[in-house]
Amino acid sequence: MTTVSTSAFYDRSNLAMGTLRARADALQAAISSGQRLGRASDDPVAAARVRSLTRLDSFAAVDTAASGRASGDLMLADQTLSQFSSSLIRVKELAIQAANGVLTPVQRAGIATELDQIHSELGRLANARDSAGHALFGGNAVGPAYAFDASGNPVYVGTASASDLPLGDGQTVTRGLTGPEFLNFTGASGATNLFAVVKGLSDALKGGVADPAQAARDSLGTLDIGLETITTQQTVIGARLNWIDLNAERRVQMSEARADEEAQVGGTDLSLAVSQLQQTMTVLEASQASFAKLSQLSLFDFLR
Amino acid sequence: MASDLLNIAASGIRAARAALDVSSQNIANAATDGYVRRSIRLSEVAGASGYARVGDLSLSGVRVDGLTRNADSFRQAEARRTGSDARRASGELQAYQNVEAALDQSRLYPALTAFETSLQQLATDPVDPSLRSAVLENARTLTRTFTIAAQDLDTVAAGLQFGATDGTTQVNLLAAQLARVNVQLVRTVPGTSDQVALLDQRDSLLKGLSDYVDVTATFAADQSVEVRIGGAAGPQLVSGNSATSFAMAAAADGTLSFMLGAAAVTPASGSLAAAAQGLVMVRDAHARLDSVASSLIVAANTAQAGGAALDGTAGAPLFSGTSAATIGLALTSGAGLATAPAGAPAGSRDPAGLIALRDALASADIAGQANGLLFDVSSATQGRKLTSDALSGIAGAARLALDSQAGVNLDEEAVNLVRYQQAFQACGKAIQVASTLFDTLLAIR
Repeated sequence: MTTVSTSAFYDRSNLAMGTLRARADALQAAISSGQRLGRASDDPVAAARVRSLTRLDSFAAVDTAASGRASGDLMLADQTLSQFSSSLIRVKELAIQAANGVLTPVQRAGIATELDQIHSELGRLANARDSAGHALFGGNAVGPAYAFDASGNPVYVGTASASDLPLGDGQTVTRGLTGPEFLNFTGASGATNLFAVVKGLSDALKGGVADPAQAARDSLGTLDIGLETITTQQTVIGARLNWIDLNAERRVQMSEARADEEAQVGGTDLSLAVSQLQQTMTVLEASQASFAKLSQLSLFDFLR
Repeated sequence: MASDLLNIAASGIRAARAALDVSSQNIANAATDGYVRRSIRLSEVAGASGYARVGDLSLSGVRVDGLTRNADSFRQAEARRTGSDARRASGELQAYQNVEAALDQSRLYPALTAFETSLQQLATDPVDPSLRSAVLENARTLTRTFTIAAQDLDTVAAGLQFGATDGTTQVNLLAAQLARVNVQLVRTVPGTSDQVALLDQRDSLLKGLSDYVDVTATFAADQSVEVRIGGAAGPQLVSGNSATSFAMAAAADGTLSFMLGAAAVTPASGSLAAAAQGLVMVRDAHARLDSVASSLIVAANTAQAGGAALDGTAGAPLFSGTSAATIGLALTSGAGLATAPAGAPAGSRDPAGLIALRDALASADIAGQANGLLFDVSSATQGRKLTSDALSGIAGAARLALDSQAGVNLDEEAVNLVRYQQAFQACGKAIQVASTLFDTLLAIR
């Protein structure tokens, strides 16, 4: 015969109800916080995974900001290149006018004055600043991209190339163009740059050469090559912007995948948790009721 | 007829009264910790037939033989052993959870991530003063997090040592009391309430001892107990009327060792074993935290030395110190971060130095080390939790089994009360009958 001592009965009821209450408490905490893991030791593997995912999330946030900045700078470069090409188109119009043999030297000198204006305008454009106030076309230059020599000719003082900006997961994009990349090209008479071509044309029209009209005609071909160079670089910028967009899409997909995994690994399955809580509550209520009934049962009550 | 009805009835009344006393004692102590249910042992008193009185009736009633203590020594030993194991497991779990909290809740890993994130952000514009300050402030937070984690670990170790010191004192007190109980036990008569009470005391003291250390108890015929720590071949803690002094020593790294008299002893269970084990864990976690901190310091400072600061000078160390407790921020201004390669002009936007710093942190795998430390601690904690749950379940079952057998059942006592009350009344009736018989004899004229 197994006898149950009175204190054993109370101890056991206490233990059983305490266990049930602790389980209900844990489920309630999981439901109200939406997190399955109260502390890392609840599920060490999942907790380590959640830590890594959270880390990747914070890096992705920086990547998003960085690519926003890169695309802003590249768009700024694109707009500035458009201004370069419209100036160049004006130079070409002027060259075509000047190529007309009936113009008087005074008229050509007028054209040359406008060309000088455009020349200094091109110098200012080449020293444009990016969103952070650094030289847009200077690579990693500390100051402006172009310095001006004694005769007012721009001289490139930036670095050879612009640095790469990380876009996340090891992908990078070159953040900008350097001035020589779109202003220097190989014309009919060897390597030259846009400033020299405009300056040379202006000097020729001012009477620097014997036949200014011929010089203007000759410059047309060189100007075309210059325009082509700028257009090519605009295409490069377009391709880079595309690359950034592509990476942004990939980042969104990755972040969705991460959020999904985080929810799966560390989140509470609400329907499951609620039904488990309901089950625990039912059992707890039943054991409380049965405890109340059983504890009233004493033989002393019946002995009168 | 050698017996006498009045005497027989009187002995019955005495026995019934003693039995009622025992029952009410049981009822009164139903909730007393360590109280073992007593029952009364009665035996008949009958004289042997003597010379020339063969076949004579010689009934002399009943006498109280003694008290029986309904203790099952196997169940008691089981309750001690499993209770001791459960104490060790829960103490260890507590220590591990504290270590886990110290490392996890100091938010070391998020601080490390924030530091690396701010470095990545600085790559977008290495000369931006606000981004540089952000890196410096995140580095400062990181050093403080390391310090907090190291301090928390020290606090955990101090708490464990404090508990172990108290446990050592308790073991000595309990052992001295056991030695005194042994002396008294030798002098008492078996079956008396004195002896039964002393036995209860002896078992409670043993149970108390087993909370702190593992106890191997050997009972002598006179019910005195010999206690050894560390298994049946371990040194003696209590033998007869003498108790050996138990002492604890803490090493420089915080770990504990125990001495019983002149012999070194390693408790296998109980809260002292848990404290010793927990302190080993704290020491290991501290060493690993220090190694994470020192590889961060070395990686960052080496990379700094290979680069140039904003003003073009060679990079100065970013962190000072060598361990988690001593790590500090050495740079005072964000301009000192060596984001440019060595030899770069002042104000250079070249991020080569920054890339080298980030590469150094990545190849030293600081975040991975921290993650590994947290993972190892939390998975060890999870393992301890499983063990502790299992052992406390087993200990609970053993305690319930002992309680069921040795505890008081009020229903049973109620039945006994009624039974002995009726016996008392019946004996009274027997006295009345004796009196009536006597009156009948006197009435003969």
